[in-house]
Amino acid sequence: MADVIGDFFRELEEKGHQALLGKVIGTVQFDLTDADGTTDHWLVSVNRGDITVSQQKDLSLSKADCTIRSDKKLFEQLIKGEENAIAATLRGAIICLGNVELLFAIQRIFPGPPSKRQQQGEAMASS
Amino acid sequence: MTTSDQVRILNGNTFVVSDDRGDIEASSTDPTGLFSFDTRFLSRWILTINGQRLTALSTDDLQYFDARFFLVPGTGTVYIDSKQSVIRRRTVGTGFSEELSILNHAEEAIDLTVRIEAASDFADLFEVKDALEKKGTYSTQTEHGKLVLTYQRETFVRATVISTSEACEIDQDGLTFQVHLEPHNSWKTDLNVAISVPDVPDAGQDEAPSVLAWEALQAPSDMALDLQHWLEAAPRLECDWDSLRRSYRRSLIDLAALRFSPITAGGRSLPAAGLPWFMTMFGRDSIFTSLQVLPFTQELAATTLRELALRQGTRVDDFRDEDPGRILHEMRYGEMTAFEERPHSPYYGSADATPLYVVLLDEYERWTGDLALIRELEFEARAALNWIDEYANLQGNGYISYQRRNEQTGLENQCWKDSWDSIAYHDGRLPGFPRATCELQGYAYDAKMRGARLARLAWDDPDYADRLEREAADLKRRFNEDFWVADGEFFALALDVDGSQVDSLTSNNGHLLWSGIVDDDKAEAVVRHLLGERLFSGWGVRTMAAGEGRYNPIGYHVGTVWPFDNSFIAWGLRRYGFKDEAAIVAAGILEAADFFDGRLPEAFGGYPRAMTKYPVQYPTACTPQAWSTGTPLLLLRTMLGLHPVDDNLVVDAALPSSIGRLELLDIPGRWGRVDAFGRGRVDTRWRTDDS
Repeated sequence: MADVIGDFFRELEEKGHQALLGKVIGTVQFDLTDADGTTDHWLVSVNRGDITVSQQKDLSLSKADCTIRSDKKLFEQLIKGEENAIAATLRGAIICLGNVELLFAIQRIFPGPPSKRQQQGEAMASS
Repeated sequence: MTTSDQVRILNGNTFVVSDDRGDIEASSTDPTGLFSFDTRFLSRWILTINGQRLTALSTDDLQYFDARFFLVPGTGTVYIDSKQSVIRRRTVGTGFSEELSILNHAEEAIDLTVRIEAASDFADLFEVKDALEKKGTYSTQTEHGKLVLTYQRETFVRATVISTSEACEIDQDGLTFQVHLEPHNSWKTDLNVAISVPDVPDAGQDEAPSVLAWEALQAPSDMALDLQHWLEAAPRLECDWDSLRRSYRRSLIDLAALRFSPITAGGRSLPAAGLPWFMTMFGRDSIFTSLQVLPFTQELAATTLRELALRQGTRVDDFRDEDPGRILHEMRYGEMTAFEERPHSPYYGSADATPLYVVLLDEYERWTGDLALIRELEFEARAALNWIDEYANLQGNGYISYQRRNEQTGLENQCWKDSWDSIAYHDGRLPGFPRATCELQGYAYDAKMRGARLARLAWDDPDYADRLEREAADLKRRFNEDFWVADGEFFALALDVDGSQVDSLTSNNGHLLWSGIVDDDKAEAVVRHLLGERLFSGWGVRTMAAGEGRYNPIGYHVGTVWPFDNSFIAWGLRRYGFKDEAAIVAAGILEAADFFDGRLPEAFGGYPRAMTKYPVQYPTACTPQAWSTGTPLLLLRTMLGLHPVDDNLVVDAALPSSIGRLELLDIPGRWGRVDAFGRGRVDTRWRTDDS
């Protein structure tokens, strides 16, 4: 089965810099829980757009400024652009602890849904 | 939406609307209750004594955050013989608290059954408006001396927790107190209604609370002291026109009430759009209001710029009408937004907020010299400027146009005149979409010119500045050809989808002066129209000129006079050197304010002044409205001719002669604090009395 979430974080690490996070300094911990109750912890540190990612086993070492909790299914939808992080937070499907500004900031790098305009653009480009 | 005997108090986006007894008795369509985060947390709150409702003797709501209700038991004429008084004192915080006192004036002891009925429908504000059905489930608990009302839909949970200081019986529908009162004795209890957003079921005590819970904790500890500090920090106005002094003070207090602190702002505030139904962040309203009040307070602009930047669009999302670089239109927190039945998380369907964002950024720097913020927001300002050409040029003709992509719940008209019939041809027909309204092109021109200044001043990018200025010059040249209605000598309201002129004469011409896009040799003709009989009512400039197909003096954007609109028109008149005309507009609006006890409404009727003698208020849901509140402040700026030039504030007053003498003391800015003086010299009566 494709490891969509793992791929997302690995790509984030490989890219190294995100212009959309150019002002951000802080560490975000993602607690992502499976249907069977197991939770993966990913730690994303941002230093003025420069990003390092690590998967955490020992949480006692984590010094996150913001912890974002959701189930894995929702998180996969977020990183595919099928769900919106702010709406999900409002309905309690995402729980955000700590510095909420970091949630608002980091969700900016999630993609948008398939768009009429993008489809129009692609149709024009291919015609 | 509101009637005159309703009482409303608020703190940020938490507010209570009740009747003059303090009772809340909402129906699905009657918008009373305790609201917070766009959710109604209490829809029923009814006090009875021995089974009887009460009657109001008087209500005191002088402060925007608390109210006192003086009541007697019974209804109708019974109260005349009443031997008891009841006082409810209610204060809004993160819910509300209510001190309920009963005084026995009789010579004998008395036993009373005091009951408060409580219930909540947890309606979303959008549901209150549209009377929609709920999809979740309700429950009620009566444990630990508290009444807890809960609503749940999947992971979405909202609860109201009611507690009291005195012992009472609690049942599913309310609280009952058995009160024994000796002669000339009194009894009291404190009732507390707390809103709860229990979305962190397993968070430990030491963990920071989550999104909404955190925001709910942000009430200032002493709201009266906070208001006092706010008033003391504002410039002092001395003048011999009492009405203007009253309007000024009213505006400052209302502006304090309109402050809204988003969760990410660390306690700092920006202006929300209107009280109480629009106590949230709006791109357009927050920016216009911040611009109006810059000479008086600069913190609102700084917070607006920061918070809108954090929520700037980053992707293409049709549901939210979002594009990269686009500044939001409106943010909401309720159930329908949470479940994406409405797009306000946030919604981006505004075509003017993005260029206006750059305009505010530059104007803010001119007043404050705060280069650090200009540098901090360089990325967002460039993204906003990029949006104008990359995403708003829908027709490929180099003009900003709008057409919603969310056809179910998006906005059709994405300019400030956003009602369905506001954009119309002279003959009354409505154009199709996309629409390129004229003022958007003015804002785009101004944004590019101001962006160029910031690029040289703070971003060390003269090439970018040159490019922006070339684009602005080209835009101005094309605009003055394409939008100019030659035989009428004014600018068309819009270009339609064929590039033809939507040829109504409207107040938008004044915004074009403000933006500086009008060729100098066309300005005089534009001013003649603005102050001419078709547009100028005697109180102000109408949104649409008399004689247009859609003109209606009580049509929302097709004939009424909007104070906010006029304040920017006055600024535009000053920009092109028409000082006396700016004074005439200012005088009309400020004289109108006198009829509303200093609180300008959103809009009033466009009837000729000579016909009605007083301004006829347009019935609207929201008062005060932020940009109406900001209007007297911007008019003070335009009358005094305040103009920041480097580290100096230039004063070039042109005051209506009715004002006499005017002093504005301790104007804050990069110069520290300075005073401005002026004497009335412009005779404004010839227009306002004759028209």
